[in-house]
Amino acid sequence: MAEDNQNMLSFLSNDGKTIDVPRDVAERSLLIKNMLDDIGPVTEAIPIPNVSENVLNKVLEWCTHHRSDPPSTGDEDDSRRKTTDIEEWDQKFMQVDQEMLFEIILAANYLDIKPLLDIGCKTVANMIKGKSPEEIRKTFNIQNDFTPEEEDQIRRENEWAEDR
Amino acid sequence: MTPLFPQAPQKDDLDGTWSFLENGIDNVMVKLEEGVDMKTYMALYTAVHNFCTSHKAVSGHAIQSQRGAHLLGEELYRKLGEYLSGHLESVYKESTSHAEEALLAFYIREWSRYTTAAKYINHLFRYLNRHWVKREIDEGKKNVYDVYTLHLVKWKEDFFVKLHDKVMAAVLNLVEKQRNGETIEQSQIKSIVDSFVSLGLDETDPTKSTLEIYRFYFEKPFLIATRSYYEDESRQFVAENSVVEYMKKAEARLDEEKARVGLYLHPDIAKHLTDTCLDVLVTAHSELLRDEFQPLLDNERQDDLARMYRLLSRIKDGLDPLRTKFEAHVRKAGLAAVEKVAAEGETFEPKMYVDALLSVHTRYHSLVKEAFNGESEFVRSLDNACREFVNRNKICKSGSTKTPELLARYTDSLLKKGSKAAEESELEDMLVQIMTVFKYIEDKDVFQKFYSKMLAKRLVHVSSVSDDAETSMISKLKEACGFEYTNKLQRMFQDIQISKDLNASYKDWLDKSFLDDDDRKKLVDSHFQILGTGFWPLNAPSTDFLAPPEIVKTAERFQKFYFDKHNGRKLTWLWQLCKGEIKANYIKNTKVPYTFQVSTYQMGILLLFNDGDTLTYSDIQKATSLTPEILDPNLSIFLKAKVLVISPEGSKPGPGSSFTLNYNFKNKKIKVNLNIQIKSEQKVETDDTHKTIEEDRKLLLQSAIVRIMKSRKKMKHVQLVQEVIHQVKSRFPPQVPDIKKNIEALMEKDYIERLDGDEIAYIA
Repeated sequence: MAEDNQNMLSFLSNDGKTIDVPRDVAERSLLIKNMLDDIGPVTEAIPIPNVSENVLNKVLEWCTHHRSDPPSTGDEDDSRRKTTDIEEWDQKFMQVDQEMLFEIILAANYLDIKPLLDIGCKTVANMIKGKSPEEIRKTFNIQNDFTPEEEDQIRRENEWAEDR
Repeated sequence: MTPLFPQAPQKDDLDGTWSFLENGIDNVMVKLEEGVDMKTYMALYTAVHNFCTSHKAVSGHAIQSQRGAHLLGEELYRKLGEYLSGHLESVYKESTSHAEEALLAFYIREWSRYTTAAKYINHLFRYLNRHWVKREIDEGKKNVYDVYTLHLVKWKEDFFVKLHDKVMAAVLNLVEKQRNGETIEQSQIKSIVDSFVSLGLDETDPTKSTLEIYRFYFEKPFLIATRSYYEDESRQFVAENSVVEYMKKAEARLDEEKARVGLYLHPDIAKHLTDTCLDVLVTAHSELLRDEFQPLLDNERQDDLARMYRLLSRIKDGLDPLRTKFEAHVRKAGLAAVEKVAAEGETFEPKMYVDALLSVHTRYHSLVKEAFNGESEFVRSLDNACREFVNRNKICKSGSTKTPELLARYTDSLLKKGSKAAEESELEDMLVQIMTVFKYIEDKDVFQKFYSKMLAKRLVHVSSVSDDAETSMISKLKEACGFEYTNKLQRMFQDIQISKDLNASYKDWLDKSFLDDDDRKKLVDSHFQILGTGFWPLNAPSTDFLAPPEIVKTAERFQKFYFDKHNGRKLTWLWQLCKGEIKANYIKNTKVPYTFQVSTYQMGILLLFNDGDTLTYSDIQKATSLTPEILDPNLSIFLKAKVLVISPEGSKPGPGSSFTLNYNFKNKKIKVNLNIQIKSEQKVETDDTHKTIEEDRKLLLQSAIVRIMKSRKKMKHVQLVQEVIHQVKSRFPPQVPDIKKNIEALMEKDYIERLDGDEIAYIA
């Protein structure tokens, strides 16, 4: 799609790569949107100091797909946020390795892209759902640093929450 | 080559992070107009983000298990607050060198700069808002606000509290200048108002704002200043100007203050401001205004009255004293108008009287409409006054029955043929006006009596101006008083209609019946009206009368026809209402013989002269058997018209006189009307009507008593009297002694009986 110069921005990733982004896609990030609103037109590349090129590309892929979604206004829409349902495209989008998944979440948090942050967190939640502590440790590669006594105590304290 | 990223501090170094942030914030605060560099903007946001996401404070399980994830930011928040306090301190210092309008300009400039910067800084600290601040607020922490609100809170606490009275004093001076007629820069005040309103934060719910700050620091002093300004102004104005001028001034001021709200005040003040102005401008001077009411009424200053109404209608109980005065004034005007009519003596036309009543009503009705906005309480005062002067005035000082009688006479004069009200639409208007007066009449039964008498006459003599007008009037009365009131009037109307058909079928019958030629020659052209005894206010003739044989024959023939049709009915001939025409063939000096229009009594007298030119008084009396009360005046009419000549010449009709037919009778017209109502007859009739009213009222009271007792069975005496008054008052105002008398009368007739304890019971 040919974009008007006025409506093109470029991002500079922390590994020094420049990426051209249509303005409406970029504005899915509230950080970028507020910044543009505050200081007006920008000609230089916008430095995104916390995100690397491949992650930024991934995030922008999501933003491009959702470019015409109604703007998220933040805290509202509690019911939608509480379900773990994820629409099909987003599910496929999130089928990435764990490292990428966490990078996306961090980037979404930094760039202030609420819906993407929500999807990322839901994806992680779905990975945890229905798993035993051992399975979870395995999934996320966590070392068990509890002593058996500590573990027993925690299990007793949380017995009320057991599914069975 | 410039570095890719501006120098961002180490993420877990608080002092480093803060000094970096402080520098950036300060640029935003004081040099925003120079613009903010995009890279700096990003770096500042990133610094906040990085500090809040650093792991510095995350140590040990203990803290984590209590609070879940630990969020950083408190230090940044505190430092930001301290920075703002310091910044505002210096702004305050600068403000002390300004006063009045310059101070306002300074305040507005600083406010606008500060709030614009606050929006930027709020965005730069958005990460802090989203996480640390949100968590603090969710956990119910007091005195933690999002960064923008923090700016407002600091402004209020560190700047506003020290300066608001100076700012307000400047605002009030400005407003006073404007009230004095100077031009001021209104937008300044508008900006101050907006700033004060913005500072109203709801401590319990940061998402809401309240008007408390604005109300306390702006509205209150503003209202106090307004009050004292107008207190002084109005006191002075009243001392130097007329009340009429003052009312104009007050109205203008009220409008002006109302407009002021729209121009630069917050709508919240509207009601309080109006109340204050009303209190000072109207309530405080209400006595003065009211004292002017009577002179304005006397001079019919409608516009000024309207202005007074508008002003006083806006304060509590402002109009009540006016209503009392207005009522008294209208009553006086009504009485005066009647007095003028009464000065004409006995001979005034009913029209004059009714017109006098109407003109007063019309004048003040339109005043109520135009000046008093048709307000219902004033309408009521008008009604009360009208009721008073319509029923109790000089002309009806003998009794309130005079007004209904005169009104009925006036109505009759309109509905009778030959009245002056020519146009039909005009007539309808006049009937409507009659109903206006009728509405106020207390003795509606008296009107009914006279009206039905006159209607009877109009119908019998076929002298109604039109059936439509009659129907219209009856339906108006029906609308006002109900079916019962007009029942008889309608039946009378029907009787006339039925009689028309009856006469037609009588003619057919006559044509078919076998009459010999002689009979046919002597046949008198005739028209009959059958009037139901119960409905018509008519009495049997007051005198005996031997009808002339020609008439007797005609009457008998009709009776035969009628009894064939309606067996068992009784017909009474109302000779006093009958009339006819006779031809004077004996007078030879015209080609066409004269026609005399005469009453049946007169006919009886004149036809006697077919058998002789001269008759004595006793001859006539014997032949007609009319009483002298009827005979004498009728003979006088003949003498006056020179149809008969009396001898001895110049004497009055009576025993001993004799009458001769005047063969030399002359008149300009061929038709001569001799059927003139005799004055004394009219008087007797009026007296009779009044007498029957007394009788009818007795019946009306008794029937009301019986009706009430029949449905209630038992009732206290007092209650019964009350109930009777309630039921009857639409017809006439009953007197309590009369009701009591009639209760007694019904006890004697065993309809009701007295029980113990002042109770009355119905006897089935």
